Amino acid sequence: MNKILKLTLVLFLVCAIAAGALGVVNELTYRRIDAQQQAKTVEAFSAVMKADGYEEVGFDSAAFPTVNSVNHATNDAGYVVTSTFSGAQGNITLAVGVDNDYKCTGISVIEHSETSGLGANAASTGEVGVKFRAQFVGEDENIALSKSGGSIDALTGATITSRAITGAVAESIRVVKSLG
Amino acid sequence: MLSSIITISLGAILINNFIFSQFLGCCPFLGCSNKVDTAVGMGLAVVFVMGLASAICWVINEYILVALGLEFLQTLAFILVIAALVQFVEMFLKKSVPSLYSALGIYLPLITTNCAVLGVVLLNVQNKYNFIESLVYGVTGGLGFMLAIVLFASVRERVEFADYPECFQGFAICLVSAALVALAFMGFSGMSIPV
Amino acid sequence: MNIKKQFKEGLITNNPVLVQQIGMCATMAITTTLFNGIGMGLSVLIILTCCNVVISAIRKIIPDEIRLAIFVVVIATFVTIVDLLLQAFVPALSEALGVFIPLIVVNCIIIGRAEAFCQKMPIGPSFFDGVFQGLGYTCVLIIMCVVRELLGAGRFGGGLIDVANGFRLTLDGTGGGIQIFPETYGASILSLPFGGFLTLGCLMAVMQYALKKSAKKKEAAEKAAAEIEKEVEE
Repeated sequence: MNKILKLTLVLFLVCAIAAGALGVVNELTYRRIDAQQQAKTVEAFSAVMKADGYEEVGFDSAAFPTVNSVNHATNDAGYVVTSTFSGAQGNITLAVGVDNDYKCTGISVIEHSETSGLGANAASTGEVGVKFRAQFVGEDENIALSKSGGSIDALTGATITSRAITGAVAESIRVVKSLG
Repeated sequence: MLSSIITISLGAILINNFIFSQFLGCCPFLGCSNKVDTAVGMGLAVVFVMGLASAICWVINEYILVALGLEFLQTLAFILVIAALVQFVEMFLKKSVPSLYSALGIYLPLITTNCAVLGVVLLNVQNKYNFIESLVYGVTGGLGFMLAIVLFASVRERVEFADYPECFQGFAICLVSAALVALAFMGFSGMSIPV
Repeated sequence: MNIKKQFKEGLITNNPVLVQQIGMCATMAITTTLFNGIGMGLSVLIILTCCNVVISAIRKIIPDEIRLAIFVVVIATFVTIVDLLLQAFVPALSEALGVFIPLIVVNCIIIGRAEAFCQKMPIGPSFFDGVFQGLGYTCVLIIMCVVRELLGAGRFGGGLIDVANGFRLTLDGTGGGIQIFPETYGASILSLPFGGFLTLGCLMAVMQYALKKSAKKKEAAEKAAAEIEKEVEE
């Protein structure tokens, strides 16, 4: 019995020290991590629609299960919609700007785990990524890949990612339309 | 609800298979796939532990870590839960289901260091799954692992008799054949289930 | 146990991935760009060195029955610290590696070295063991990245080297890398899981071939020396 007590005590002590150390590191880093995440969202939002601020508004989440949030731009330019949906490798989180005529004003990938060099180009700051994302500007809810009779050229070797993003843009425009 | 469960299950078993598309659990996958029998044993053990770990860790995360604002302790708490869980399952099986215990035998303790188990728990948190979804993701992820390891074991049994360069002996030829199986699984990639 | 020997063991003769054949999940999963590979390699190197030193320092006071549990706690602590630091200071890397950073906890390299080496050895050798095994791991990751990136996308140093804005190193993962041949000519399948398995398999075969060859050479040299000795005796 004594032995078990001793073992428990040692293990407990080690865990306590570990938790203490982590607490200190967390204390030192969490503000920076929060700020970084916030900055990223703001950057993504302002990349698709310029505004001084964004106000979250309610929407029918049962009808649009992939949509995370709909944000109204404070300068009445339109809405920014964020949605999370399945790409080729994992989930993609996308911000889509929609103006008052229900046209896309731009898209920005917030988070993804697509294949580097293929689907990941959708988020890259390189020429390929910029060109891909620019195609979405001015499109309406009937947006489609050129393979399916639309006007969006898919990324080389990443039809699945391209199709998923195109679908999400259409969904984002629809959710804004549903607000009336 | 039902549709999201179906989406998660098909995703975990085929489309985003833990081994062939997420590379989680490769070590036991290569280590325990010599024979189909051992592969089945390992697979069963993983399904069991992954399901249990998903459920327990969800509760711990939701009601202890998140409630107290201690999310930074997630990795530490989860690995301890998994290690304790594996130990507990081992003792339980030894006492009450000795036949299953002897079948799983040495594979049980190995599961602690199987990154598929810790991986599924972390992914549950990352994907913000609720309790049922976590449980389903854990069990079906395990089933996906089992499917992969059993399929691969039968491939490997045939590779044994193949004529390949001497320097490919051992793990090298395994990895090359695993690549070919992964190629087959790529056929599922990006399939999406209409919700 | 001298440092030179440990260096050779970590990098070549007892390389964690190619010879001990452990820690393969991350090796195959994240080696798509040089940025990821170097980032992951260095993270593992730091964690491994810290864990080795701590475990070696406390090796005499931890009871044998619960040593694995304590190892795991120590490892998880360092992994979480590195994870938090990366999130705060190199967010691009933490995003690219995703779940594979916390998964270093179950990377067999670290617990394997703790069990096989540090619990018997003093702090000094344990420290060097961590550094050299970590270097060996990083080297394999770099080779994998270079091969997969070059053949898959025709690039070198993706995420790390920014050519468009003058030749410089970037830490935010936005560098496009050096395009060696047009991306469309690359076998993009090498960036997919298939390529991970295939590249590592081939790398392992090359390693086995090289090790065998050097062993044979050594044997032949010894034989020749023995024969000369015999002749001299006669």
